[in-house]
Amino acid sequence: MSEEINGKKIFSLLEVTNSIKKTIADRYKSSFWVKAEMNKLNYFPKSGHCYPDLVEKQDGKVIAQIRCNLWKDDYIKINSTFQRVLKEPLKDGIKILFLATISFHPEHGLALRIIDIDPSFTLGNLEKEKQEAIKKLQDEGIFRQNKTLKLPLLTQRIAIISVNTSKGYQDFLGKIENNSWGYKFFHMLFPSILQGDKMAEQMTTQLKLIKKVRTQFDAVAIIRGGGGDVGLSSFNSYELAKIIALFPLPVLSGIGHITNDTVVEMVSHKSFITPTDLANFLFQEFHNFSVPVQKAQETIIDKSRRLISDEKTKFHSEVKLFRSLTENILIKSRNSIKEQVQSLFQQSQFLFKNEKEYLYSIREGIRKGTNTFCISAKQEIKQFALTMKKDVASQLNHYKLIVNQNAQQVVQGSRVLLQTRRERVFQIREKCSDKTLLLLKNSYLKLNSIEKNVTNMSPKNVMKRGYSITLLNGKAVKNFDKVKVGDNIDTLLFEGKLNSIIKATTKTEEL
Amino acid sequence: MSDKINYTEAFEELQGIVTEIEGGEISVDELSEKVKRAAQLIKICKAKLTTTEEDVNKILKELDTATKDGDDE
Repeated sequence: MSEEINGKKIFSLLEVTNSIKKTIADRYKSSFWVKAEMNKLNYFPKSGHCYPDLVEKQDGKVIAQIRCNLWKDDYIKINSTFQRVLKEPLKDGIKILFLATISFHPEHGLALRIIDIDPSFTLGNLEKEKQEAIKKLQDEGIFRQNKTLKLPLLTQRIAIISVNTSKGYQDFLGKIENNSWGYKFFHMLFPSILQGDKMAEQMTTQLKLIKKVRTQFDAVAIIRGGGGDVGLSSFNSYELAKIIALFPLPVLSGIGHITNDTVVEMVSHKSFITPTDLANFLFQEFHNFSVPVQKAQETIIDKSRRLISDEKTKFHSEVKLFRSLTENILIKSRNSIKEQVQSLFQQSQFLFKNEKEYLYSIREGIRKGTNTFCISAKQEIKQFALTMKKDVASQLNHYKLIVNQNAQQVVQGSRVLLQTRRERVFQIREKCSDKTLLLLKNSYLKLNSIEKNVTNMSPKNVMKRGYSITLLNGKAVKNFDKVKVGDNIDTLLFEGKLNSIIKATTKTEEL
Repeated sequence: MSDKINYTEAFEELQGIVTEIEGGEISVDELSEKVKRAAQLIKICKAKLTTTEEDVNKILKELDTATKDGDDE
């Protein structure tokens, strides 16, 4: 009971908690249905109890939150129902409709106790979430994105997301490693659990890793098998499906279950019911490559052989045709040449004959002409010789006479001439002696006269007649201009010599 | 050139040759060259079916480097 201290009514903590417990017990007498989101299941394996953390969200924000109790027995019962109906265990992140009572414990406080959970509500909700995820991916236009990627001609390098120990993975490896065609694959495991709560997170991590080395791979294979039909709800996760839809490599899923496709499978490039089917698909891809190559080889061999044989046949027939054509032409040409030779022979024979006859006739003509000409020429020559003989004889006689006459004349003439010349020489001899005497007498007379003239002309005789000679410096002055005033001159006279100095000169006028 | 050609190109080129030879587009003159080339291509394609060149260690190393670089897309 409460006590009074300094006028204040004071309660102990237990009194308060007990009061709350009583009030709540009075207020919430019966159980009731609540819908909420299982934020955390908080299962404690040791005790087998769960202490779920329930929330209500609005636009992603928590607007109500409460701690709950789910006791061991209730949990086992509810979980088995879930497994049966949902193919999923009770887990975090699901929406639940549960039957609860509210209680208050003085020590642990307020809590909702979960008595039962309706699995159909959760199932509907999961289906709703799946549909929503599909719609959202479709609205974003990425639902079919991974399908638009093209697998290479050979899907040979495969990044496998699986669990190392799982039967599906082992089956898959066994298939692709020991195939009867000798096809060789490269594969690398990126380990991730493929069911339960942790799956989406682990797969996302591995997908990120693969993305980093995507150039080393042709495709991603998600391999799961033998795990039954339980715990697949994460394959409907919008976030995981989005990563796969947007993944840069084609994603092949071989998840192996029999219920409806999950969203991950829907957005995958291709999905297969079992890992074995996936392996068979890869083999088929290899066949699709190998068969045409093999066929190409056969076709090329076959066609090449045919081409060569066709060509050979064609060539042979061409050769045949050519031979027959050339033979024909040869025969024709040969015949034509033969004919021409024949014709040429005949024509030349004919021509020869004609020419020969013509030549004979000419020869005959020439012979006859020559004969005639020779005879007439011979007669002419004879005639001419005869005439010439007569002429020459008469001429000779004529000249003989003339010569004789001339000789007589020459003898007589010479005698007369000699007589005349002799007389003349006598006459000239007489004339010459007369004339010489006369010439001597004349010359004597002439000499006497000349002697007389010479005596008259001597300077002494001239000067005797009054003439004188003027000397300047011992030389006779013949020119007036040589003598100047003051010169000393000598004048030679008959019987004497004068010396004088020139006082004046006067030039005589021209006579 | 034939060393560097990838199998996709080899396959396509091979199909091209098959089409040509089937269509009678190849003359005897080219035949030898084409057949030689086809043989090379077939060799490349067949080798591709039965061999791989990838190395797990190399990829792990690459992953290691990528993670260290903080390449977190």
